[in-house]
Amino acid sequence: MTQGTNEKSTAPVHRKPLAGAFRRVRVSSETIQLLVLAVILFVFFSIIVEKFLTVRSITSMGFQMPELGVLTLAMMISIYTGGINLSVNATSNLAAVLAGFFMVKFIPKDAAGAVVTLYLAVAFLIAIAVGWLCGMVNGLLIGYVGVPPILATLATMTLFTGISTGLTGGATVTGFPTQLSVIGAQTILGIPIPFLIFVGFTILTYILLDRTSFGFKARLLGSNPVAAEFSGIDNRAILMGAYMYSGILSAVTGLLIMGRTMSAAYEYGTTTYVLLTILICVLANVNPGMGRVIDVFIAVVILQILSTGFQMALSGVRGSTFFKDFAWGILLILVFVANYFIRGRRAQSS
Amino acid sequence: MTEELLRAEHISKRFGGVVALDDVSLTIRAGEICCLVGENGSGKSTMIKIISGVYTPDEGDIYINGHHYKRLTPIEAIHEGIQVIYQDFSLFPNLTVAENIAINELLASGKQIVDWKEVEQIAREGLAKINASLPLDAVVETLPAADRQLIAIIKALLANARIIIMDEPTTALTQREIQSLFNVIRELKQRGLAILFVSHKLNEVMEIADRTVIFRNGKKVLDQEAAGLDIPTMAYYMTGRRIDTSAVTFEKIDETAPPLLRVEGLTLEGGFYDVSFELKAHEVLGITGLLGSGRTELALSLFGVMPADAGRIFIEGKEISIRSITDAVSHGIGYVPEDRIREGLFLDQPISDNVTVTLIERFLRRLGLLDLRTKSAEAERWIRELEIKTPSGELPTKTLSGGNQQRVVLAKWIARSPKVLILNGPTVGVDVGSKAEIHELIRQLARQGMGILLISDDIPELMQTCHRILLMRAGRIAREFRREEITEQVLNAELVAAATAHSS
Amino acid sequence: MLKKIIRTQEFIVFLILVALSLVVGIINPAFFSISTLFDTLRASIVYFIMSFGVLPLMIAGGVDISFVAIAAMTSYTTHMFLLKLGYEGGTLLYFLIAGAMGLLAGLLMGFLVTRFNLPVFNVSLALYTMWYGFNLFFIGATANFDLPKGTVGYYARFLITAQDPYVGQTGLHVSIIYAVVIGLFVWWMLKYTIIGRGLFAIGGNKEVAIRSGFNVNFIWMVAFALMGVLSAIAGVTQGFLSRYFNPVLFITQPLDVLAAIILGGASITGGRGTVIGTTLGVLLIQIINRALILTGIPVQWQKLVVGIILVVFTSIPAIRAQRARRFRRTTEAA
Repeated sequence: MTQGTNEKSTAPVHRKPLAGAFRRVRVSSETIQLLVLAVILFVFFSIIVEKFLTVRSITSMGFQMPELGVLTLAMMISIYTGGINLSVNATSNLAAVLAGFFMVKFIPKDAAGAVVTLYLAVAFLIAIAVGWLCGMVNGLLIGYVGVPPILATLATMTLFTGISTGLTGGATVTGFPTQLSVIGAQTILGIPIPFLIFVGFTILTYILLDRTSFGFKARLLGSNPVAAEFSGIDNRAILMGAYMYSGILSAVTGLLIMGRTMSAAYEYGTTTYVLLTILICVLANVNPGMGRVIDVFIAVVILQILSTGFQMALSGVRGSTFFKDFAWGILLILVFVANYFIRGRRAQSS
Repeated sequence: MTEELLRAEHISKRFGGVVALDDVSLTIRAGEICCLVGENGSGKSTMIKIISGVYTPDEGDIYINGHHYKRLTPIEAIHEGIQVIYQDFSLFPNLTVAENIAINELLASGKQIVDWKEVEQIAREGLAKINASLPLDAVVETLPAADRQLIAIIKALLANARIIIMDEPTTALTQREIQSLFNVIRELKQRGLAILFVSHKLNEVMEIADRTVIFRNGKKVLDQEAAGLDIPTMAYYMTGRRIDTSAVTFEKIDETAPPLLRVEGLTLEGGFYDVSFELKAHEVLGITGLLGSGRTELALSLFGVMPADAGRIFIEGKEISIRSITDAVSHGIGYVPEDRIREGLFLDQPISDNVTVTLIERFLRRLGLLDLRTKSAEAERWIRELEIKTPSGELPTKTLSGGNQQRVVLAKWIARSPKVLILNGPTVGVDVGSKAEIHELIRQLARQGMGILLISDDIPELMQTCHRILLMRAGRIAREFRREEITEQVLNAELVAAATAHSS
Repeated sequence: MLKKIIRTQEFIVFLILVALSLVVGIINPAFFSISTLFDTLRASIVYFIMSFGVLPLMIAGGVDISFVAIAAMTSYTTHMFLLKLGYEGGTLLYFLIAGAMGLLAGLLMGFLVTRFNLPVFNVSLALYTMWYGFNLFFIGATANFDLPKGTVGYYARFLITAQDPYVGQTGLHVSIIYAVVIGLFVWWMLKYTIIGRGLFAIGGNKEVAIRSGFNVNFIWMVAFALMGVLSAIAGVTQGFLSRYFNPVLFITQPLDVLAAIILGGASITGGRGTVIGTTLGVLLIQIINRALILTGIPVQWQKLVVGIILVVFTSIPAIRAQRARRFRRTTEAA
């Protein structure tokens, strides 16, 4: 499906000894390329848009990025294990809807702040549980029944959205306590809290994939499922775990969206959001058995820079919010072509 | 003297610093079945590619049908009537028999519209050429390997082949199918075609060759009429060593000790029936038999890939149940597969990861995090111990040669210290040097206490490593031999006897 | 011969279609009416056309989602362009202009895939984003209802009309002819031309296809060009059927179309697929949608029912495959 044209770091490009808890971190050439691209774009927009390089604008980017970012992490792990998860957005919405119902129905109107916070925590847990359950359904279909991931998640995408639609009757759920906006609209030391959450989950995903036996097995499973099985890896359990984690991340996205919009509905995002996460993974060279979390993070940043940059550059121009899609498509093609020439013709195959 | 179709003179070929062929000359005559024999790495694949124009020799000349070629191209080779049938048969699995047979001719004609009657006609003509009957509208991937091979042969014939080169054609065939194939080959010989039959299976060479050519380490070491050659002689020329099993030290097995592995009445419908045997510590037990004898199924069953339907399995006296690979592994059974690329290796992943995959749980520290440093060190240790030649353990496994790749697969299981290690064709596709080293490794592992099941059809290999050998036929254990009681000749004869008994 | 037909995926889909129709019809006899037939067909037309364009690509092993974007871009751009010129004529010019644009879009994609050896899916994702972005930014962001005088009434131009007991006058739209003609053409191409067989060959074994002498790049270009043209035709047809042109036409639909094609028997990895199967797959999805309405299931729960059906439909072949896989190697054991 999403085909990569490269191997994992074939040789260390830079060794950057970092003090403290980190060992010597080897940075791969793909990460550098993405960083360079991000920097170029950032500089470009800082120059042509006067208000781009301001605290306000950067903070605003920090608020917008996390939703797509965490969702992309959810997509990443499913591609990493050799599949794909088209139901991430549907899971996200369902988790938000159910958490939303809970809050609306159970939080007493005149409860004290601390009590509300407690209820919020429970609501968050409910959302996570929903995400986890949705992931389990995917894991069962893909790991145990053996349905190809693209078909299984297409079906569950419809299933989960169907549950949301059915429960809400198409209406949007509102009436959440204002404390909820903490995760969507507040900052700590000037840094948007959702951004911190995004960074937090990025680090968590990195640790999961790079430093746990689960991540190790997931990578090998993605690389060669037959050999993985023959090496004693319990493929079905790993797939189950991967899709469960994907579901949990989707649920977190749902909470982030809820925190920003103070509402929950069955339809935020839709198919295009899902495709966007796949696009980001493609840019970040995520493939079965290959891919770095840091590359995904940078790719999300790149998209945000483009999005905000064009929006500001073209503000006042009709339909400015759409230019980024056009630019994003072209940018991706340019990146593909550039990769083709950088790698020479050898790495290509379909 | 029969007509000389192709003459290759003083061919040499180097890849980088490695000499693949060194001053090799070969003549192919019409109406002659010539067997090209050699171990992997002997240069026979390179020779085929040079004869068919895929590679250009660094030195040497090729004369085909009187034409002189310094730099032969594939198209020229095809025009001269040279057709190569590779192991994958070069077919379209999703298209029908008729279409596969006719496709080259269709394309050559340049017509844009497909006339299905014409396709059928071409296909029928093709089938008639070797008197075969295959369902024309069957989709090729539903057919057994033998039928697909026939289609490949027909394609070659339709392309007016005068020389057909077959690369290890019997790999995927059952004994009956091999006999059919040999009949077809003899047919073609009668019609004046030349067949270059590339193989490393000496018993087959004995049966089919008119002329035998042996390569070793890039040189031609033998080229004579097949009559008068016997298997030990061929083996000697192939490996350059006299198989002297007495020079090899075998661990003495404590006959009184309880068996490491005991199998009782194991049965798998359609695979094997009522199999019982014992494996003691320090012992290497060979299981051989022709394709279709059930030996592969037995190995896979013991590893949990195809759980048996009936029977009992005991490890160190305790009865266990093996219903999955994880069961097998947890009971201390390891498996080195036949198809290492598909089943044994993660080619795009680092060598160190390939080696440590079975051990990964050992590197867990607090919070479930991996200790990467220890993991690296352990990987390095096994890379050294098994002498895997690589500049770095972090390079992707696909950068390794075949022999080294096989060592990686071995390393990953040895690192786990299994009680029983099942090896399925461990030196297939491995160069001569590595092969001997792997054999010594097997003996060493046995010395250290492991019980080893060696599934192989390589007679010298069995003789050099096994204490006992079980011969399977039609899913049952037919004979059991102790190494001391038998010689290579006898073993070969038994194998051939099994074959002919079967095909009659 | 009959036995072989019965074993195909296409036949199974056909059976499911029939069974489903019967069930729904029993629940609500209004299902068995002419208007259902005509309406279902009308709703299916554009999906037929698009999927016939995507099928050849999938047979060759390429998964494409940009076809919806091409449909939207070509139809919307053509419309807004002609609107600006004050065009008052009929539908033909729309098809010609959009068709030409679709052809170019398809060729562009073909060029990128063949020249730089890029995976079809990745390129299609990029182009999907690009074309919709192009539409929304450069052309316009709102649906447009101003149709040229010459096209008024097209939406109600029927091939056959009939009286339906429930709805009154109903008819089968003329554009069904496009779908039929296109379907026949694609069927013919796949079965009777070297290019068509080449698509199957590439999907079956690309290396061997090259070695056998197929002009692989040319074949891809033809398939992409065809996809572009058919997507454009579908987009324009939809515009006239619905009587408005939409810049984000079909934006949420590419996966549904792919699902229909796969349900109809095409393999997602290539090498297999038929026009009949695709037709049945599209019909099945349409009938499920319609059936839900007619069975009286509340609108809000319809999607859930579809989801459950999809889960079941995708699980069945998977379970069958597992049972078959249980038995791998055959031996000559007595």
